[in-house]
Amino acid sequence: MRFDVKKNALSLVVWALLLTAPLWVDRVGAYPELVTQVVVMGLAAMSLNFLLGYTGVLSFGHAAYFGLGAYGVGLTIRYLMPSTMAGLAVGVLVGALAAALIGPMIVRRRGVYFAMVTIAFGQVFYFIAFRWNNVTGGDDGLTNWHRENLHLGFATFKLMDSPYDFYYFVLAVFAICTGLMALILRSPFGRTLIAIRENERRSRFLGINVNFHIWVSWVVSCTFMSVAGALYALLNNFVDPRAFYWSQSGVFVIMCVMGGMRSFWGPLLGAAVYVVLQDYLSSVTPNWMSFIGLVFVAVVLFFPRGFLGVLRRRASE
Amino acid sequence: MTKDGQLWRPTRRRLLQAGAVLGTAQLASPFVQIARAADVVKIGMDNPLTGTYAALGKNELIGAQMAADEINAKGGILGRKVELLVEDSTSGDAGVAVQKARKLIDRDQVNFIIGNVNSALAQAIANVANEKSVFHVVPGGHTDSVTGKDCHWNTFRVCNTTQTEANAVASTLVKKAGKKWYYLTPDYAFGHTLQAGLEAAGAKLGATKVGGALTPLGTTDFSSYLIKAQAANPDVIIFLQAGDDAVNALKQAVQFGLDKRFHLAGAQQELEVLEGLPPEARVGTWVFEWYWKQPKVAGVDAFVAETRKRTGGKVPTARHYFGHTAIWTCALAAEQAKTLDAVKMAKAMQGFQLPPEIAMMPDGAFYRAGQNQMIGDLYVGHAQSKGADDPEDLFVVDQVVNGKDVSPTLEETMCKQDWPA
Repeated sequence: MRFDVKKNALSLVVWALLLTAPLWVDRVGAYPELVTQVVVMGLAAMSLNFLLGYTGVLSFGHAAYFGLGAYGVGLTIRYLMPSTMAGLAVGVLVGALAAALIGPMIVRRRGVYFAMVTIAFGQVFYFIAFRWNNVTGGDDGLTNWHRENLHLGFATFKLMDSPYDFYYFVLAVFAICTGLMALILRSPFGRTLIAIRENERRSRFLGINVNFHIWVSWVVSCTFMSVAGALYALLNNFVDPRAFYWSQSGVFVIMCVMGGMRSFWGPLLGAAVYVVLQDYLSSVTPNWMSFIGLVFVAVVLFFPRGFLGVLRRRASE
Repeated sequence: MTKDGQLWRPTRRRLLQAGAVLGTAQLASPFVQIARAADVVKIGMDNPLTGTYAALGKNELIGAQMAADEINAKGGILGRKVELLVEDSTSGDAGVAVQKARKLIDRDQVNFIIGNVNSALAQAIANVANEKSVFHVVPGGHTDSVTGKDCHWNTFRVCNTTQTEANAVASTLVKKAGKKWYYLTPDYAFGHTLQAGLEAAGAKLGATKVGGALTPLGTTDFSSYLIKAQAANPDVIIFLQAGDDAVNALKQAVQFGLDKRFHLAGAQQELEVLEGLPPEARVGTWVFEWYWKQPKVAGVDAFVAETRKRTGGKVPTARHYFGHTAIWTCALAAEQAKTLDAVKMAKAMQGFQLPPEIAMMPDGAFYRAGQNQMIGDLYVGHAQSKGADDPEDLFVVDQVVNGKDVSPTLEETMCKQDWPA
């Protein structure tokens, strides 16, 4: 199969920008941690979009799995063993396990009921983290731990000491996750998810086990979300219960909607716009939230398919 | 319109798309790096400007700006001008506060970092500052651990610890009101620590807990808790709520007439909060960390006059004082060490006695060695509904307590500093 440059132009641009980011971030006045944050939040938004954009199910409780990933890595490094990879593995495992267990209880709901139940489960985790002071640090967050340098047999990556090493570490994880997501979406299973999104009743009549498919999609989405959460905790060397809070889930939905829910890279663009706007505006004015709100309203009114959706449509016209 | 056989053939539309992507990339990075003169000393302030603590954070900012102007008028820090870079940390989102701290340290290369009003955020910033070895001053977050078990060699704190405040108010309560105490405590980490601090302080003086209720954060109706409190028949009802919860709890206590039958009290109180209360709810015994009416203390009158000029006639609160002292701490540290090297500055500040016109307290103030905690005076007194000659004179100082007498000992704080080699 020949590689079609034209079809993959967007992916090429995205990867070129991400790979070269450390070379130009300083020139445009950004800093490595900000780009790292864009990639992490982009991964989170793309994970949510796997469920929202490709399966057509709106979850308002994804922050729960983001937070589980974050606390998983934090608690592991703090109490069990000071290893970045072990922490990451535990965080992702905990998030995936929780999603797999909670999934069957919610996949039968649809629409607003689905969203409500996901919020409810998310808040359960929020209050556990908020109240269990001895272990999680409660409202003050989990402190006194930090990511560790990564020693592989052939090389050492200074994750702690060099922000660029950490950026490329995050980017590598991001590449694996987005690659897997793209693979899944191209498989017959991924096509089935899109079929469910387009017409659930017809899919059911075709003999597809819709609830099971949604459950699998939910678990996949939440697993990648917990990867993002774990990376976010590693980025800040800190976690607090707000990572679980439902408003955090809302932020992920906003990123998806701003960037474009129907496109693969849309949520990454949405995350970039959100993170950078927040970083920039909040230094300029204390009323930064109203400006982000304005942008969001404008996007919903004028580009209901998000930034990338608009580009896409222009291109196909 | 596309022809096969060619791998890459840019069409007009494709070029436009590429242009749009590039344009968005430009939009996404709207900050233009302003080249700043290298001969500037930068102080980054990562403090709340939005949310619950916005009012406190803004007052600290006014005080900080005032101090920066004073320092510049006197020739700056080591002959270099001071520049204050301000970031909104939000009132409760530690993720944002940490991100802003990294932005200030990594991108703006600040020499000092100031923050935060919220203890949790202060601790989070302290950890970042420690990781990057930047001189850090906490203006107003009170949790013990910041200069206690989670202390760092580079983190200095202006405001008092929760335990010190509890100790200061406890002795007055035992003398003035009695030994049977009832606690109304907000149900989260801060409230629990505060109550534990008061219980420990009270126990030393023979006070006992006759009951207590945990109120969820954001409670609007306190009546059931107040009824329970009356039933326990204490000498003192202690309110540990903050913000809107405090306003509601105190208002309802006065409506119930509890202020006539019991002694109402609490630990720390702020002038900002008293101003927000309806006059009839300004009751109870509290501890202030600084008060603007100190006729015999050097520097206070000038500070009050200058604040009035900048705020349209409002008097400085403890928060203005904290911001002012925090910035001066940075300047004094640099002058004392004759360098901007964080380790040397931190060493120079061990046991450092603040000049009287900066300390603005009758017994002076100093940074305790081995803990980096500023120890000054505390003002125990009672709230009054109306000021005699000034509408903002809402507090009557009954007793000035020297912090040296009520601070936990260095061993009790459990602070162990880990200095770089």
